[in-house]
Amino acid sequence: MEPLSASVDDDFGVERSTIGTSLLSLEDPIMEEGEESASTSSGEPSAFAPESIPPRPFREPASSKYSPLPWQGHFDGEHDILIQSTGEVFHVYVAGSQGPVVVCLHGGGYSGLSFALVAGKMKERVRVVAIDMRGHGQSRSNNDHDLSAETLSSDVLNVLKTMYGENPPAFILIGHSMGGAIAVRVAAERVLPTLAGIVVVDVVEGTAMASLIHMQKILSSRQMHFQSPEQAIMWTVKGGGALRNIDSARISVPSTLKFDEQRQCYVWRTPLQDSEAYWRGWYEGLSDVFLSCPVAKLLLLAGTDRLDRSLTIGQMQGKFQMIVVRHSGHAIQEDEPEEFANVVLNFIARNRIGTYGLEIPGVRRPIQLRSSN
Amino acid sequence: MPSYADVDRQIEQLSECKPLSEIEVKNLCEQARAILVEEWNVQPVKCPVTVCGDIHGQFHDLIELFRIGGKAPDTNYLFMGDYVDRGYYSVETVSLLVALKVRYRDRITILRGNHESRQITQVYGFYDECLRKYGNANVWKYFTDLFDYLPLTALIEREIFCLHGGLSPSLDTLDHIRALDRIQEVPHEGPMCDLLWSDPDDRCGWGISPRGAGYTFGQDIAEQFNHTNGLNLVARAHQLVMEGYNWCQDKNVVTVFSAPNYCYRCGNMAAIMEIDETMRRSFLQFEPAPRQSEPDVTRKTPDYFL
Repeated sequence: MEPLSASVDDDFGVERSTIGTSLLSLEDPIMEEGEESASTSSGEPSAFAPESIPPRPFREPASSKYSPLPWQGHFDGEHDILIQSTGEVFHVYVAGSQGPVVVCLHGGGYSGLSFALVAGKMKERVRVVAIDMRGHGQSRSNNDHDLSAETLSSDVLNVLKTMYGENPPAFILIGHSMGGAIAVRVAAERVLPTLAGIVVVDVVEGTAMASLIHMQKILSSRQMHFQSPEQAIMWTVKGGGALRNIDSARISVPSTLKFDEQRQCYVWRTPLQDSEAYWRGWYEGLSDVFLSCPVAKLLLLAGTDRLDRSLTIGQMQGKFQMIVVRHSGHAIQEDEPEEFANVVLNFIARNRIGTYGLEIPGVRRPIQLRSSN
Repeated sequence: MPSYADVDRQIEQLSECKPLSEIEVKNLCEQARAILVEEWNVQPVKCPVTVCGDIHGQFHDLIELFRIGGKAPDTNYLFMGDYVDRGYYSVETVSLLVALKVRYRDRITILRGNHESRQITQVYGFYDECLRKYGNANVWKYFTDLFDYLPLTALIEREIFCLHGGLSPSLDTLDHIRALDRIQEVPHEGPMCDLLWSDPDDRCGWGISPRGAGYTFGQDIAEQFNHTNGLNLVARAHQLVMEGYNWCQDKNVVTVFSAPNYCYRCGNMAAIMEIDETMRRSFLQFEPAPRQSEPDVTRKTPDYFL
């Protein structure tokens, strides 16, 4: 566990050192302009004399525009959670000190830092825990290639049990894409007695299954090698278009890379193209399982057209809350973190989910929790 | 007395699923507003009348509804909201219903649904459809401004209370509903929102609605409301029911849903509820109208999934 996390730090040490310089370079030109205008001398200066040249608008150099940013300030800390029975280590980011625990499960190829901006905006009112899933980020497992729904679900349960023991607080599970499928599976197992709500982000069985046949092609069209994290961030925002919010990409993308010593370049941390065997298992039957989850449900989508038959009927029967976030790409939590955080906090407040569960007893579905007193 | 030649011609045109011009919509909405502003939050309605639920822009199914239930004004109609969004012909659907209202104000009643709102229509299709069909948002603005004037509920012969969604914990009598100031956008919460968003539920009492707005109410609530107000039935829409209508809460509440194969994918029947001269109720079910060309319902597969 120790040596592993040390090697990861080495990978990212390079990027972190560039952060300081990029911040400094922001301020330099502004200082100089101020000094020049103060020292203008008298006379008839040529229109092309240095003092007549108007200050050029400041433009961030491309390298610093896409440079990695730290997660500190959004999350409060990070932990390595050791699962005793297997010796596997799951990396989690945490924020906040009070309220129910919002557990964030990222999508395939992302990492816990996909929720950094959202965590920063929610941590005053809830606790946030974002897990690097198996085969992702800084988690280290015995088999990084096993991304089956069963294994990922049991990973989540193991992490929560290790962190919170036998007397857990109320949980809200948020899952994006692949993580959404896992959140639903975890909820459906009904082994988390304090689970009070689930939020599924932009994944629906019907559309996911329909797009499976295109996925290898989409994955293989991704750029696979990068000279620097900057380049990967730029590609993600401009080339691949997977993320639209550069501020989030600068925090999250570096954690989805690893340095390939042989090729001396950065590659994706998670070989998604090798996980095809598990894709159907993530999504098959997802809509009906979602509808049957015995907790408050919120479906956050980036487009209305993504509902399949089961969910269209379910929505039209009022079985769950659905919110469409406009102008967002697939990773809503990264593209529109402000709206995402507000929507989730409202969902928690509306369903009266407090630190230990439903706050007002007798308002139906009293989750059989120990009350706070 | 104004001449009805214009609106008669417009009804004929709309019945062929041909939208009106922008200026015609503007004039139509102005005439409709003058009529609706005179109506009550609890609009009295006489029998016989045929009660209909959600339509959601499924224009051809609305024409089928008139074929099954009888043409307006030969049949009196009460529509309980949700004319727009989701289907591909929200513009034609709501234009036709508003034109019928202008032409036969005492023979057709149109209530407000939760989709008759600026915010919801910007997400679920009506706004985009207006942009597509008119090249600007003016028609959307004319209609959504008009929606503020739609009555919230109706009362058939003081016996059957009709509304889109359901009951509100803040409104235990019809007089409380009559006192609401309804001329506004549907609020996010509060009594007016509840009327358009709430659902009946198997559980007793009031519950938090899973929808994110309104409440769920149990049979005890419906019984008490009907008793207090001398009613024998709450008729409402808002929820898809596979048979098109559904009795619940020991026949204190009935749901009527009039969009067959909702969203062109749900496979449900539609229904309307006829109330005859003696207040007897009967239901007519119907299936989707045969279409010459099905709208293209293949959806763009998203370029992701992981």
